[in-house]
Amino acid sequence: MTGRAGKYTAFLRISFAQARRARGELYGRVVFFVVILGVFSSLWTAVAEAGMPLAVEPRAMVWYLAITEWIVLSAPPMHFDIQEAVRRGDIVCQLGRPVSWVGAVFAEGLGLLIARAPLLFATACLCAAIFTGWVPPLRVLMVVAPLGIAACALVMALWIGIGLLAFWLGDVGPVSWVWQKLMFVFGGLLMPIDLYPAFVRGIAPFTPFPTVLSRPASLLLHENGGEAAALVLSLAGWGTVTAVTLAFLFRRAAAALTVNGG
Amino acid sequence: MEPLERPVVNDGYTGHLRFAAALFATNLKASLAQRAAFAMQVLFMIVNNMVFFIFWWALMNRVDTIRGWRIGDIQVLFGIVAASVGLAGAVTGGVRHLGRLIDNGELDTLLTQPRPVLPYAVGLRMQPSGLGDVISGVAFILWSGQVSWREWPAVALAVSGSAVVFVACGVAFFSLAFWLGPIESVARQLWDLLITFSLYPEPLFGGLLRFALFTILPAGFVGYVPADLVRDPTLGRASELVLASAVYLALAIGIFNRGLRRYTSGSRFGTFG
Repeated sequence: MTGRAGKYTAFLRISFAQARRARGELYGRVVFFVVILGVFSSLWTAVAEAGMPLAVEPRAMVWYLAITEWIVLSAPPMHFDIQEAVRRGDIVCQLGRPVSWVGAVFAEGLGLLIARAPLLFATACLCAAIFTGWVPPLRVLMVVAPLGIAACALVMALWIGIGLLAFWLGDVGPVSWVWQKLMFVFGGLLMPIDLYPAFVRGIAPFTPFPTVLSRPASLLLHENGGEAAALVLSLAGWGTVTAVTLAFLFRRAAAALTVNGG
Repeated sequence: MEPLERPVVNDGYTGHLRFAAALFATNLKASLAQRAAFAMQVLFMIVNNMVFFIFWWALMNRVDTIRGWRIGDIQVLFGIVAASVGLAGAVTGGVRHLGRLIDNGELDTLLTQPRPVLPYAVGLRMQPSGLGDVISGVAFILWSGQVSWREWPAVALAVSGSAVVFVACGVAFFSLAFWLGPIESVARQLWDLLITFSLYPEPLFGGLLRFALFTILPAGFVGYVPADLVRDPTLGRASELVLASAVYLALAIGIFNRGLRRYTSGSRFGTFG
């Protein structure tokens, strides 16, 4: 058991080390994050000026957005790596290893996530504090941070599922665009789901998106210990569903794999 | 010893346009060879843009205006930016790969061709999804209800001008690879930022940021000025956009050509297409 865990830990450590070396991309994400938060801070200030009735103050909305954006930007888009491995045929060499291929990809993604998430979380908190002049209670942030990282891991697992479609589709770009936008809307990336029309609010609970985005971020809006516990259960439930789906997809994909050339 | 002059066919603007049209036709044929993938990219990009707009639709259902901008204004802005980014991707899809070509020394193959390198490099590829952007962009403009048939020449000018500024910025950002090496991901993020800023109403931004959006990251000329031209076409606005497009294009060509003088071959055998 320890030996098996050690193999995945090795994948995680290697990708963590690689991510630490590729600082350009990380700093690029930080800049992107700062700009996006600045844009949304201006937007919500303007929306408040326009007299939109909000259940929470605009400053809390900026913190909400900081957390949802942090989760989205920290989760490594592993579907591109999977697509490239399938396209180039590298997948054949990787399948021969004495480890689960999906497990190895997930471990690599976790390495990237661990390298990115802390810096992006610090950026999120710093920017939100500067833009709003307000900081939520520390105990709430201490709850949001680990649940947010668990949500990032689930977002990444969902991206792996999209990546596995490359075995059939070749190019998963179009599917990933739509998936991402569905996540933005049904996950409440840009504003809480409560503010969307009834049909969005009706569909959202049947998707994993609120669990990974709006619910962790909403902990900042409505301090509630019961909600945090419910979120843990929801993350575990969707995590299980995702793991089973990934195993099923991969088994079908490996059976359907055709490699050209040599 | 004098360096060897590279013989370049110089048959004027019409020759360059014919060459660009031939590149586009070849790319289109290659993309259409995989019809299902082509159709899927176009269709999914349309769905992608429509789903994203749900946010604005939901927001503007709750407030009439945001600093004077109504839902129709945002639809025009969104439509112009989508159509111009799509046009750029469909006709000059190679811009996105320019940094990699430079950094990997893959311009060698183009340097042996009797055509100017930059148009060749940017016209090498096509993004079929760009057509989906163009279709959804036109749909947003029609949906806005702010454009009658009389304004369609202004729409064509606005989309073309916006696309030229967008492509020029891409060329400038990715050409930094001549000096800085592997900057593809940073250049791509800069280019994405340009789109991000272009998609939000102009009055949200003020001060130094506003100055930046009309200079180093010219979202103003990709989104706001073209959208103003469509909503209220005047000769002044048209001239402003044409002038800005010409300036940014000239700057991009200048940066690329200056970088090309520093270019060193990757000394590797490769093919392109």
